[in-house]
Amino acid sequence: MIASLGVRTLFVKEVRRFLRVPGQTVLSPVITTTLYFLVFGWSVGSRIGPVEGVPYSRYIVPGLVTLGVVSNAFLNTSSSLFMMKMMGTITDLLVSPLSYLEMLAGFVFAGVVRGMMVGIVMWLIAATFTGFHVAHPVLVLLFLLAISTSFAALGLCCAIWADKFEQVNFVPTFVITPLTFLGGVFTPIAMLSGPLRAFTTWNPLFYMVDGVRFGMLGFSDADPRAGFAVIAVIGLVSLTSAFLLLRSGWKLRG
Amino acid sequence: MADPVVRLDRVSKRYPKLTALDAVSLEIRAGEIFALLGPNGAGKTTLISIVAGLVRASEGTVTVLGKDVVADYRFTRRNVGVVPQEINFDPFFNVEETLRIQAGYFGVRLTEERLKEILVALDLEPKRKASPRTLSGGMRRRLLIGKALVHEPKVLFLDEPTAGVDVELRHSLWAYVRTLRDRGTTIVLTTHYLDEAEELADRVGVVDHGKLLVVDDKRALLERHASRQMRVTLASKLDVLPPALAALGLALENDGRSLHVRVKPGETFGAALTALAAAGIPFTDVETERMRLEDVFVELLHGRAA
Repeated sequence: MIASLGVRTLFVKEVRRFLRVPGQTVLSPVITTTLYFLVFGWSVGSRIGPVEGVPYSRYIVPGLVTLGVVSNAFLNTSSSLFMMKMMGTITDLLVSPLSYLEMLAGFVFAGVVRGMMVGIVMWLIAATFTGFHVAHPVLVLLFLLAISTSFAALGLCCAIWADKFEQVNFVPTFVITPLTFLGGVFTPIAMLSGPLRAFTTWNPLFYMVDGVRFGMLGFSDADPRAGFAVIAVIGLVSLTSAFLLLRSGWKLRG
Repeated sequence: MADPVVRLDRVSKRYPKLTALDAVSLEIRAGEIFALLGPNGAGKTTLISIVAGLVRASEGTVTVLGKDVVADYRFTRRNVGVVPQEINFDPFFNVEETLRIQAGYFGVRLTEERLKEILVALDLEPKRKASPRTLSGGMRRRLLIGKALVHEPKVLFLDEPTAGVDVELRHSLWAYVRTLRDRGTTIVLTTHYLDEAEELADRVGVVDHGKLLVVDDKRALLERHASRQMRVTLASKLDVLPPALAALGLALENDGRSLHVRVKPGETFGAALTALAAAGIPFTDVETERMRLEDVFVELLHGRAA
């Protein structure tokens, strides 16, 4: 039973940590993304025609929700572990009998909770404007769980690697946000041309946004099975990497 | 003799440009207070960190209660408590939450009774709901001790527990360490204060440049190494020291303006002062000082130990 209580403690601690600053961890991303929704979806979108028979304001919701889930799952684990490294409280965890798998589980589950919480709140706000119908709710849930798990694990990898807080912010600012915005959040792939279209087909975030869109709206640019396969591979690689990094002790244990 | 609580067998820790520990073998006995002495950078923290699992040894084996700290890490870590040298705290959680979280990591559900016992013992009960940010340095250090004790470890490592703390706290921490030992907890503390080791330890180990120079009973070590020195400020400059004074070990220094003499533990400065008075040499001040650990090290390193 020692293992389960240890993991539960880490998980609950991580969740309580982000709930202590809800303005920063939940409200802020919700407001930012809601503004995107209002400006692009509502104001600009009213001048753009429907996409696949769906109003533009509704079309962008899956992408914005995905962006919220990805960013917050990543930020929860990366900022928390990095702060533990900087404050020295990582020692408290490293001297405990928790296994690396248990540490991974505690951190990642908490990251998933924050990502999903932000995603759900964002969706609820958007849905009050665009309607609450979801084509495949179970699929949406599966996609978002897989996405948040992957990025929570990547956040851990980033925190282990980072020596400065700037490096923790590097990935969301220079990798996640650009890839998400260029991953079909605002535009169907058919509307893109040339190199941008080619780039999008190589962008893993495109398949995530596309998969969530299939789940929410019932249509997608790519085959949602391919999307799920991409997410599964990324999830597996990121979880394995985070586990191996924790186990290696790199930048954590002397 | 009972099996050692902690055993290090030829343990080394090598970094690319530094050997932090060099083939250290050491046994910590059940119920003792063992002081690991050494200057900064000697390898004391590395040794503790290897036992606690914070650092991996390059060579050698470490066991706690007979179990390997790598292969049986769950068992060994449940039996080891570590109070790190650097104060750390999570500003998101208050004192009580901090202790409960630490206990949880170890699979221990902290009862109200046990929580209160720790808080009272460390004089933190009034600060139970306070954020660690609002605590004084001494309180934060006591909180670290509380965190290390939540899972009731068999052996407690205190890394420089009194570094930078005031005299009052220092003495209260010493008293608490003794209480823990009396309850059966084995204590290993690192310090570079010789008086701390003198005050608390049953046995002492001296480490420098990663090597364990000596392990001995405290009294035996102090008798061999910890001499005292007296410095006498003369009323006027003395050019030549009378042979009777030189025979007692007195020596001129400071261009003849003062004298110094060193005596072993148990000896007094009486003979030197009497001889000084008999020689009719007036003096204005007398100052005695115990040798510092650094002095002992110099002697140990140069093979000039008394």
